[in-house]
Amino acid sequence: MKYVKQGMKNIKGFTLMGKTGMAVVCVVLFLGIFSDRLSVHPYNLPSGSAFEAPGPVHWLGTDDLGIDLWAQICFGARVSMIIGFGTALLAGIGGSLIGICSGYFGGLIDKIVMRVTDIIIVLPDLPTMIVLGAFFGPGIRNIIIVLALFSWTVPARIVRSKILSVKEEKYVVAAKNYGAKFWHLTIRHFLPNILPVVMVSVIRLFSKAIVAEAGLAFLGLGDPTSKSWGLILNHAVNFRGIYFTDYWKWWIVGPSAAIMLLVTAIAFICRDVEKIVNSKI
Amino acid sequence: MEHSIIRVENLSVCYHADKRGSRAVNNVSFCLDRGGSLGIIGESGSGKTSLAMAMMGLFKKPTRVDGQVYYENTDLNRLSERERNLYRWAKMAIVFQNSLDVLNPVLTVDEQILECLRRHTPLPPREADKKVLRLLKLVGLEAKWSQYYPHQLSGGMRQRVLIAMALSCDPEVLIVDEPTTALDAAAKDEMIKLLARLHKEKKFALIVISHEMQVITRLAGRVMVMYGGYMAEAGLTKDVLKNPMHTYTRGLIHASPSANPYRDLWGIPGEEAGNSSEGCPFYNRCNQKVSDCKTKLPRLAYVGIERRVACNRGGIVTLLTGENIYKSFSFRGKTVKVCDNCRMAIRSGEIVVLIGASGSGKTTLASILAGTLAADRGEVLFEGEKVKGNRAACRKNGIQMVFQDPFTAVNEHLTVRQAVAEPLDILKQGTKEDRIQQVKQALKDVQLPGDDGFISRKCHSLSGGQRQRVALARSLVMEPKLLIADEISSMLDPSTQANILRLLKGLQNAKGFAMLYITHDLALARKIADRVYVMQQGSLIEHGSVPDVLSKQGDGVAALH
Repeated sequence: MKYVKQGMKNIKGFTLMGKTGMAVVCVVLFLGIFSDRLSVHPYNLPSGSAFEAPGPVHWLGTDDLGIDLWAQICFGARVSMIIGFGTALLAGIGGSLIGICSGYFGGLIDKIVMRVTDIIIVLPDLPTMIVLGAFFGPGIRNIIIVLALFSWTVPARIVRSKILSVKEEKYVVAAKNYGAKFWHLTIRHFLPNILPVVMVSVIRLFSKAIVAEAGLAFLGLGDPTSKSWGLILNHAVNFRGIYFTDYWKWWIVGPSAAIMLLVTAIAFICRDVEKIVNSKI
Repeated sequence: MEHSIIRVENLSVCYHADKRGSRAVNNVSFCLDRGGSLGIIGESGSGKTSLAMAMMGLFKKPTRVDGQVYYENTDLNRLSERERNLYRWAKMAIVFQNSLDVLNPVLTVDEQILECLRRHTPLPPREADKKVLRLLKLVGLEAKWSQYYPHQLSGGMRQRVLIAMALSCDPEVLIVDEPTTALDAAAKDEMIKLLARLHKEKKFALIVISHEMQVITRLAGRVMVMYGGYMAEAGLTKDVLKNPMHTYTRGLIHASPSANPYRDLWGIPGEEAGNSSEGCPFYNRCNQKVSDCKTKLPRLAYVGIERRVACNRGGIVTLLTGENIYKSFSFRGKTVKVCDNCRMAIRSGEIVVLIGASGSGKTTLASILAGTLAADRGEVLFEGEKVKGNRAACRKNGIQMVFQDPFTAVNEHLTVRQAVAEPLDILKQGTKEDRIQQVKQALKDVQLPGDDGFISRKCHSLSGGQRQRVALARSLVMEPKLLIADEISSMLDPSTQANILRLLKGLQNAKGFAMLYITHDLALARKIADRVYVMQQGSLIEHGSVPDVLSKQGDGVAALH
C-alpha cells in the first residue's frame, strides 16, 4: 500500500508529456484486458465484406477476409502488453539477480557473467533472434524467452556496477560484521539502492520488447494465432494484391499507429522516471 | 609487624545494632608504621569517618564496634572507658571535620586548648599557658588570636585551632578528618603544607581522611580506598593514582579536578544501593561485573607489590590485547608497511585514544583489532578469545565499530528503526516488540526522539549528526564492551562534534564500556583520553597517560602539535 501511495505521488510529479504517456499506456492496458468487450466484432472471424473503409460499423475498417481491424488491434494490445511485461520482468528480475550475484561474489562468477554479457552484446540481436525464433518455434512464451535472453544483459551490467560500489559502503561492512548473509544484504541494502536504476532499464526493456516482437512478427516469426500488431502488419504487407486496392493504407495505419503511440508513450514515461530517480538521491 | 604502631583488624561498625541497623564499616584491616602516613579516600558515606571514630573508641551503644584496634600491642577495644581515656588524645588524637559546632562556642581558643591539656596532662597552669602559645605558633596562628571566640575566626583559623588541640598532648597517632573541606584554594594549600610540616617535625603517624585526591597525594604515602564500608583497594599512593586497579578508584580519580587538568570530569554513575550483606558492594555501579559478583563478596587480595584490591575479577580486567601486529599492503610490486609490530592493550571501561597523522595506519590497526581485517602476523585477543572475522562483533557484549563518514555509515533507504535494529534482525534476537523497545531505548540513549514518527523516518531525511547518532545507536543495541570509534566526529561541524563527543563520553561513563577512539586531533585526545597511543608510519611510538605522552618532545608527538 505504501509503495502504491509513493508511486502515485511520483506520477503526480510527472511532466505533461509523462502524464500523457501514462494515460496512453493505461488505455492500451485497458484495451488489452477488456478486448473482448470493447469490440463488437470478433477478431478472428469475418464480420463484414473485405476491405471496408473505416465507418460507423467497422471503426477502422476490415482486412482482406472482412475481419474487423479494431477488434484485431484490441486483441493485439493484449499480446503486446503480455510480451512487453513478460520480457521486461523476466529480463529485469533475472538480469538484476545475476548482476547482484556477479557484483557481490566477484571472482570467477563475475568473470563468467561479464564475458557472457559481452558475447550477447556483441551478437546482433535481430538476426540471432530470428534464428532462435525459428528454432524454438512461434508462441508467446517462446518469444518472451527469446527476447529476455537478449535483454537481461543491460540490467545485469548496471546492477553489477551499482553493487560494486554499494558493497564498499560502511553500512554493508557493518551489516556483514554482524553476520548478515547474502539474502539479508540483498533485501535490506542492495534492492533499495538498485531499484531506481533497475526501474528505468525495465521500462526501456518494455518498449524494446514490444518493438522487437512486432519486428519478429512482421518478419513472419510471430505466433500466427496471436494476432499481434506486428502480425497484422505482416498480413497486410504479405497480401499480394494490396497495392491494387485503395484500402491498404487503412490496414497498415491502424497497427503502425498503435505501435508508435505506445512506444512513444513509454519513452516519455521513461524520461520522467529517470528524472525523478536521479533527483531523489 | 613489630614496628607498626597501629594495627586494625577486622574492624566493623554497625549503627543501631539492636534494630538490624546499617553497617558503616565492614571488616577493615590495616596497619600503620610509626611515623608513617595513610590516606583514606572514598565518596561521602563510604565509612571513612566512622572508621576514624571507631579507632578513637568514640561510639556508644546502640552502635556496635567489632574487631580489634591494636595500639602497639594493646587491644584498645578491650579496655575499659577509663583505661581507654589514657590512650585517647595522649597517644592518639583526632582532628575533627571542620565546622563551627566542633568547637565550644562559649570558650575562647585559649580555653579550648587548655581544656585538653588539663584533662590529659599533669602540666601546672603556668606551663600549660605557655604550651598553648607554643602550640598556636606551631600551627601558624599569632598569639593574639588566643583570646577570640570560635565564631570570630575564619574557617582556616578554626582548622588550625583544631590541629593545635589535637597536638596538645603530643600524640603518636594523628587522625585528620577532611582537613580541607570548605577552605578556599590558598587556605587549602597552606593547610596541606602545615600538616606536611608538622608530620615531618613531630614524627607522628598520620591518617588523613579525605575525598580529595590532591590532599591524599600530598600528605599520604599509602592510600586506602573505601566503598560502602569495605576496603576496595590499598597500596602506595603514587601507584594507586597512576594505575588504579579497582573500577571504583578509577572512577574517583576521573572525578578529581586535580588529577585531570585537561579532561572533562565525570562522576561515578549510580548511587550506592543499600548494604546488601552478600555480593560485591560496588556491584550496581561497576562496569565489569559478572554474575558471580552479585553473590560473592570479594576479598582484599594482593595483585602486585604492596597492592591489594577487593575485586572478584582481580581488579580492572584487560579487555583487548593486540600482540605484535604486522600488516602490509602490496600494490604493483610495491609493499607498504601499514602496521609494524603494534602492541596495544585496552582495559575495561577506559578510553584509549589512538592518535596519528593521516595515513599512519590508524584505521588499519583498528580494523585488525575489530576483526574486520586479517593481520599478516600477530594476534588479537578479546577477553582471552582470539578475534577472527566477525566473531567478536556479531554478539552482544562484543566489539562494535562506528565509522567516520555518517553518510555511508547508515543506509539512507532504511527507516531509523530498520537501521538501528539491523544487528538484532540479523542475529534474530528477541521478539519484534523487544527489538522495537531496544531500538527506542538506544535512541533515547543517544538523545534522539524515540517516538513512532521518528523511528519510521527514512535515514536520508536526517542530518549528518543525527545519522552518526543513529549509527551509534545501532552499535549500542549490541551492548558492546568495547566501542571502536574511527574519527567519528571529524566530518561534523564543531558544535555537532562537541555534542557527539560529550554524548559518547557520557554514554561511556554511564554504560561503562571501553572505547578506542581514533583521531588526529591532539586537543580532542587531551579532552577525553585515559591513555593515548601515538602512531607514526605504522608503528606505535609512544603510549601512556595524556600529560606524560604529550609533554614528551619526540618527533612524532611534535608533528601532531
